[in-house]
Amino acid sequence: MVMGVTVVGVRGHPVVVEAHIGRGLPSLTLTGLPGAPVQDARDRIRPAVESSGLEWPLRRIVVNLSPGNVRKDGPGLDLPIAMSVLAASAQVPGDRLARFAFAGELSLKGSTVSTPGVLSMAIAAAKAGLEGVVVPAANAGEAALVDGLRVVGAAGLADAVRFLRGAWDPPVAVPGQPQQARHDAVDFAEVRGQAQARRALEIAASGGHNVLMVGSPGAGKTMLARRLATILPGLSREEAVEVTQLHSVAGLLEGGGLVGSRPFRSPHHSISLPAMLGGGSGYVRPGEVSLAHHGVLFMDELTEFRRDAIEALRQPLEDGRVVVTRMVGAVEFPARFTLVAAANPCPCGYEGDPKRQCRCLPHRIQLYRQKLSGPLLDRIDIRLIVPRLSKKELLGESAGEPSAAIRERVEEARARQRDRYASLGYPCNAQLPGPVARREARMSQGAHEVLAQAVDALALTGRGFDRALKVARTIADLTSAVEVSADHVAEALSYRMSLSEGSLARAG
Amino acid sequence: MPGEKPTEDPGHALAGDHGSADQDRRPTRWPPGFADGRANRRALLVLTALRGITPRQMLEVADREGSASACLAAVKAGRAGSAADREHARELDPAAIEAAVATCGARFASHGSEAYPPQLENLKDPPAGLFVRGLPLPRRDRTVGVVGARNCSDLGRELALTIGRDLAASGMCTVSGAARGIDAAAHEGSLEAGGDTVAVLGCGIDVGYPRGSRALIARIAEVGTLVSEYPPGVPPEPFRFPARNRIVAALGTALVVVEGAQGSGSMISAEHALDLGRDVFAVPGAITNPLAYVPHALIREGATLIRGVDDLMRDLKLDGGPGLPRRRLDLTLAEQATLDLVTEPVLPENVGKGLGLSVPEVLPLLVSLEMKGLVRNVGGRFEPRLEARAG
Repeated sequence: MVMGVTVVGVRGHPVVVEAHIGRGLPSLTLTGLPGAPVQDARDRIRPAVESSGLEWPLRRIVVNLSPGNVRKDGPGLDLPIAMSVLAASAQVPGDRLARFAFAGELSLKGSTVSTPGVLSMAIAAAKAGLEGVVVPAANAGEAALVDGLRVVGAAGLADAVRFLRGAWDPPVAVPGQPQQARHDAVDFAEVRGQAQARRALEIAASGGHNVLMVGSPGAGKTMLARRLATILPGLSREEAVEVTQLHSVAGLLEGGGLVGSRPFRSPHHSISLPAMLGGGSGYVRPGEVSLAHHGVLFMDELTEFRRDAIEALRQPLEDGRVVVTRMVGAVEFPARFTLVAAANPCPCGYEGDPKRQCRCLPHRIQLYRQKLSGPLLDRIDIRLIVPRLSKKELLGESAGEPSAAIRERVEEARARQRDRYASLGYPCNAQLPGPVARREARMSQGAHEVLAQAVDALALTGRGFDRALKVARTIADLTSAVEVSADHVAEALSYRMSLSEGSLARAG
Repeated sequence: MPGEKPTEDPGHALAGDHGSADQDRRPTRWPPGFADGRANRRALLVLTALRGITPRQMLEVADREGSASACLAAVKAGRAGSAADREHARELDPAAIEAAVATCGARFASHGSEAYPPQLENLKDPPAGLFVRGLPLPRRDRTVGVVGARNCSDLGRELALTIGRDLAASGMCTVSGAARGIDAAAHEGSLEAGGDTVAVLGCGIDVGYPRGSRALIARIAEVGTLVSEYPPGVPPEPFRFPARNRIVAALGTALVVVEGAQGSGSMISAEHALDLGRDVFAVPGAITNPLAYVPHALIREGATLIRGVDDLMRDLKLDGGPGLPRRRLDLTLAEQATLDLVTEPVLPENVGKGLGLSVPEVLPLLVSLEMKGLVRNVGGRFEPRLEARAG
């Protein structure tokens, strides 16, 4: 009996692998709901065993994977299946075998291959109370992130056998170095002009608000969105482990360390639904919404995305997770991200531009706006018009504040929210449901008056009211004010936008 | 080159001479008694539905044939119009057209009848008849045309609305083309103030086009006047709109052009108005503003520049009439200072720079002015509203 681990969603599930060698023509049968990738292992393992100088029993072999009700997918079961056959043919001793879990894909030569999801497997092994794990050497740094677990990085099947026979004392595996993402190379200091947009993104980062940026081509929407990830508060260790697990399962982890910075994902608008939410044939991979977990999901040209891909964002935006339903059960991935969407104001892109005439027919603009509106828009608190700046407007604009300085203020504002909502369990203002936000906002008399006035003067809707209130609360948190003032509300009202009719900025 | 083809240049010039001579001889009036009598009226109904003959060509046929019935006979015989017209004229049943006119609540004002608006006679190609729905057409000296861009700016829409409203308040009727943008705003302003308004359609009298103005057209049919050269069921077609514009220009005593880009229909309307000797007013804009192209071109051709509705009312000698109450504003010092800096579309940070304020400090001031109706946000920049100048 050998312990293996299979990954369902982002969680590892221990799998007991047993082999029976009986009479009959030489063959290898797998039972216990193996998925297609696991079935592949049947033809891979015999050459791997023989290349490693071990003997393959030429008899009828049955390998059972239990529990039988969980579908086993992914190539991580190669090593435990091989070990079970070796154990059943008495080629390895049993004492260490029972105390370790095995995970890893094998090549025909018997060497181990870097395997996705090892971090999740190691966490599952630790939870199951095992002493350690034997994983591919390439994944040892990743598995070593789990405290109190002995990690054996095996270069091949032969290493694992030598270790079990007590003939090899593997070096202690060191946790990988935190990985900085490439998008960390950008900085807000490089942005000239766009003071209102910079301010809006600082508020978005502070309160966890989703952002819609509408502006003509060349206004700098993408440039701004990329820099949002650099001013979000740093990842806590717990968050970093979650992100690393997801990226490991997706096979995107490089170097084996914890992911050190918040992810920034910008899927192309032609993306399919499974790629967006997670899925794939057989082995369920996390989608873009999960790869952006604790980071930024940037949807450029929002209107070009398929309608179903936009609609599908509702669940993750609401619950912070996504459930992919398959024939053999549902798989859940965490997906709590900050959404940054960008769009042109109209099909030609120049509506509201003082220098260029918009050439769109009104019903085309209306159809276009309809794609933008709807339930997704209700979850976006900050709507921003990003104007295309003229040369004159750019001239004399000094470089902006560096990201690090902005991030300091953001961290402080987040800390205030965490303290205030500690008993309620919400991390930031954006996550508050409307009634809770109204109760907890601590609005001054003046703030109430401005909001009431806006309902009439700006045709503010009920939802628009709640959004302005939450954003105003975040602005107050940025200035460490206890009460929300009239000015906070008035500024919050400048980040609203109606897409139903007429020019973009007219109502809320 | 002239040496190679000696005949061409003189020939061309001759043809030109002929042309202008022809033009001089071209009829601009329908022959007397053209549409008199029931038979002629029924024949005219059929003629209005034909596609291949313009009113100008029809005038020539009428000049030759004398009456509407004779014209229709000429078309059926193939002596006038296209082959398609001949087919069409044979198929059309005047009784069916009459029934359709009655169904949609319209009347047919044929040339020579009392209902036919006399100001249309000034046109070089007056319509042979006019379909009218709703109230009777007001007199010419009570009517002012307001036209402009369909893709207009917010400022233009607001101005057209105010013009419509103020004209109505002075007892004037607004005539326009029911197109979206300036046209629709002028109608709406007039309706808002409870005034008369006339919409000239470029399609059948019962067709709601453009679709975006369908509700407006239905409303005008109830409380205003709808006018068209075309019988029920005639679809909107590109060539009908320039033709429609000449009627808009002719119905009023003056024409106001609010905004218009190069090559737009407002230019055609204004040129008709100038030809007819009507007063033309144009609202200028920045020379870089593509929507100011037509107004500027007209001002150069002699149109009167107006800076807003006040100038228009003064020039039309209507400023003695009931004006609009001006709003008294209670602005804080900071708000007033902010408003003074918003003279053209300006970014919030640039307003802040002028005041020595940061963006978070200046945004509340701008939003406050926006809520008071003094500035508006267009594409991320703030610009003054009309009220800001009046206040």
